[in-house]
Amino acid sequence: MGCCYSFFCKDDNSSQTGEANERTHLLIDPVSNNTNIQRVNSEDLLSRNSNTLPKKTDEQSALNRILQNTATNVIDVAALDSHNLQQHEYLERMKIYNIKVQQVLSNNKQLFTTRPNPVLQDIPNPDKVLNSDPVTIGDLNLIRSAVTAAAAAITDIRVDHKEDLVVPFGLNC
Amino acid sequence: MVEEARKYLQDIMAQVNGLYCILITDIDGVPLVKVSSDKTPEHATRPNFISTFRLAIDQGSKLGLGKTNTLICCYSQYQVVQMNKLPLIVSFVASDSCTTGHILALESQLDPIIEQLALVVGEA
Repeated sequence: MGCCYSFFCKDDNSSQTGEANERTHLLIDPVSNNTNIQRVNSEDLLSRNSNTLPKKTDEQSALNRILQNTATNVIDVAALDSHNLQQHEYLERMKIYNIKVQQVLSNNKQLFTTRPNPVLQDIPNPDKVLNSDPVTIGDLNLIRSAVTAAAAAITDIRVDHKEDLVVPFGLNC
Repeated sequence: MVEEARKYLQDIMAQVNGLYCILITDIDGVPLVKVSSDKTPEHATRPNFISTFRLAIDQGSKLGLGKTNTLICCYSQYQVVQMNKLPLIVSFVASDSCTTGHILALESQLDPIIEQLALVVGEA
């Protein structure tokens, strides 16, 4: 029993510190290390007995931690009791929200004036736009020549192949 | 000003055929802004119902699938889509035949308003 106790405690210690020392098991199999363990046991027990009290609280807190972790990880449908707001609490909050929403929204008027990407837009006086003078011939010619020049330039773009695409990198051979 | 916001939400609601209600509430289901049509089932907008979303996402996060973003519940006559915008919950109530994808697509349009409204709850 003592052997078991010390064995597990020792494991705890090593796992807590996470450091390898002269007592760390190199092999997982405890049978092969049996004599070694017993020696450790007597030393450990002596030192442990002197400070039993703090260890107990440690254990308690460790157990509590495990319990808490388990509780947070378990999906407990039975414990799902919804906390219902009291009527007056609800009304109070609604009042506060009403006032604050008013404030926040009046500070952000642009949120409601800009519509997301309208495809078509209303024009107040369409006859003005429709009656406006057409584009002059000079402008039209300018646009045409500019566009044909741009098109010609685009068709002239070519990849000038000078070096190999695949290059041996970092090889000195 | 709230009227303008409501109008804006009405317009968004009208974009989706069969959408009856857009409800922006805090985590306990207390409404901040609500737009709804006559067809909205009253039970679906109650705080008791809305606040169960919080419990569902709390438990759902333990499944190891990450944070819950959206919860879609389809009933025989209605569907309820709830979005996790903590500290707010955005709930949509629609008919069962409404295209759920259209509702989900509204998220990007609502995000700017929700950002601002989240400040209200943060302050309170």
